[in-house]
Amino acid sequence: MSNLNPNLKKMGNFASIALVIIGTTLAIAELFVHRHGEIALEDLPLFPAIYGFAASVFIVVVGIGLRHFLMRREDYYD
Amino acid sequence: MTDITPGILMIIAAVFVPYLPHHLRQIFMLGAIALSAFSLSAGAGIHWSVSVLGQELILHHADNLTLPFGIIFHIAAGLNVIYGWHEKKSMEHTAGLAYAGAAIAAVHAGDLITLFIWWETTAITSVFLILASGTERANKAAMRYLLVQVASGVMLLAGASLYWREVGTLAFGAMELGSLGTWLIFLAFGIKAAFPLLNGWLQDAYPEATILGTVILSAFTTKLAIYAFARGFAGTEYLIWIGAAMTAFPVFFAVIENDLRRVLAYSLNNQLGFMIVAIGIGTELAINGAVAHAFAHIIYKALLFMSIGSVMYRVGTAKATELGGLYKSMPLTMIFCIIGAMSISAFPLFSGFTAKAVIMKAVGYEGLVFVYLVLLAASAGVLHHSGIKIPYFTFFGHDSGLRPKEAPFNMLAAMAIASVLCIAIGVMPTQFYQILPYSLYYQPYDASHIIGQFQLVIFAMLAFTFLMRFGFYPPEIVSTVLNSDWLYRRLIPRIGSPVLAAANKLSIMGNNIIVSSAKKIMSGTLYVYKHPITGPVAPGPAAIALLALLMSVLLLVNLLS
Repeated sequence: MSNLNPNLKKMGNFASIALVIIGTTLAIAELFVHRHGEIALEDLPLFPAIYGFAASVFIVVVGIGLRHFLMRREDYYD
Repeated sequence: MTDITPGILMIIAAVFVPYLPHHLRQIFMLGAIALSAFSLSAGAGIHWSVSVLGQELILHHADNLTLPFGIIFHIAAGLNVIYGWHEKKSMEHTAGLAYAGAAIAAVHAGDLITLFIWWETTAITSVFLILASGTERANKAAMRYLLVQVASGVMLLAGASLYWREVGTLAFGAMELGSLGTWLIFLAFGIKAAFPLLNGWLQDAYPEATILGTVILSAFTTKLAIYAFARGFAGTEYLIWIGAAMTAFPVFFAVIENDLRRVLAYSLNNQLGFMIVAIGIGTELAINGAVAHAFAHIIYKALLFMSIGSVMYRVGTAKATELGGLYKSMPLTMIFCIIGAMSISAFPLFSGFTAKAVIMKAVGYEGLVFVYLVLLAASAGVLHHSGIKIPYFTFFGHDSGLRPKEAPFNMLAAMAIASVLCIAIGVMPTQFYQILPYSLYYQPYDASHIIGQFQLVIFAMLAFTFLMRFGFYPPEIVSTVLNSDWLYRRLIPRIGSPVLAAANKLSIMGNNIIVSSAKKIMSGTLYVYKHPITGPVAPGPAAIALLALLMSVLLLVNLLS
């Protein structure tokens, strides 16, 4: 993250703030709209939000773990 | 005129492509594709069959399932011609046109032998898209690709002949797994559909093709397999589990892969998983979902490969470690890339949303809770590696210092058309659903569904931001990530070479023995030849003893019998 140029950094901050605002709006929206899913579990409050967040973190954590087993130098096959 | 199988005209036209001057050639190819597409209007039924050796080969069969694949394959072929307009060499154009034609003809095959012929034609034509890269690395990948593809074809042929002996027909219709024949056909399809552990060729070969080659490859081979499964094995329960595994595993690999075209190859594999799950369910709703997803997927996947290809065309690399900060230099490419990314991530108003919603509904309707949760997690994963990683590491992220020109006009035009299609499918679901095999009255846009989907994608994006800000996100590393092609590139050679060496030694030993005994026989014969027995010879005592022994044996045998 060290060689971020100032413009990119500004855009990153803007995007992060925007995401937080949209996320909060969506969470609040649940109070006003009855949300239901295809399976019963999905009807739990904020289920897609929590599941989406957790799944993403899980994927990245497992991905990092996989690097220990599956990562080789670039010219491995050459 | 419409009786001619769609696609065949494209294959014939491909023969003339190398002899035409540059711009005329591109126009000629678009014309050939349009003419070929005209055959799609033939309507349902068998339009062309020939009798060969007492077998009825159905060259042109059309119904509700072939039509959507026929349409999208023609659209993809047309987009490829526009995207590759700048390319003056004819190799990729010839191969690409013939390859697309073969895939289209395969979709319209009414029997397994015709299917086999086009199945192999797609393999043989498409390998030139990889060879056209011209590097040693690409040549090797191309040969591995060809071996796997031809193996799939051989299995299809073997399965077809067994199936014919068993059932007495070669007609390509719904099959029931059980006999060796049907299993061989199933596996042949499975190789091309990049099943788990059979998927190595996909991530190995696609990123080694040329820029245009990868875009062309992304559309046809795997979706032909999806079509074949939908026709032959709809409702086969194994497919639900295989498909669920396909959606999940590639996601982890995509997160740590550095080559962005390879990341897209993993995400292609993951998308195929959604379609395979739907085919495994096999209800009308689910098959509609699989076809809708294949249709939408071909466009947004091509769009993503096109945008990364344009970047590669300008800066010469698609490695995340070497890219970044291109948003200012290639703003239009960035916008198109993000449209592709939002489509594949299933943002409402984009094509992935209207297509995937049908599959999710079908899975939910069957009460497959575990599979549903896997697909939902995989959707978050898609967003992660294709939706965020691809545009982020290319156009934002760290500044690579590269300041290339915007992509050439023809590339932008192809991406613009693909983008329009992505959005059109996203905003006009009712019209889109009309091309599906079965009638579907479904409205994906209700407040509940929109909010749920937005929550999923926005919070997955928040997770990315969170991991990035706190330094948990794995940095891009120049590396090779092992995939199932390791099995035949490393494991089998490692185990195989000692066995082969031993077998070789044995055969040399055996050879030596044969050679030395042959030499002895030869020299003995020569000796006798050179020293002929001449004149009357009195038998010695040994000869008399041998004669006596033979006589006694004969007597004994006579007595006993």
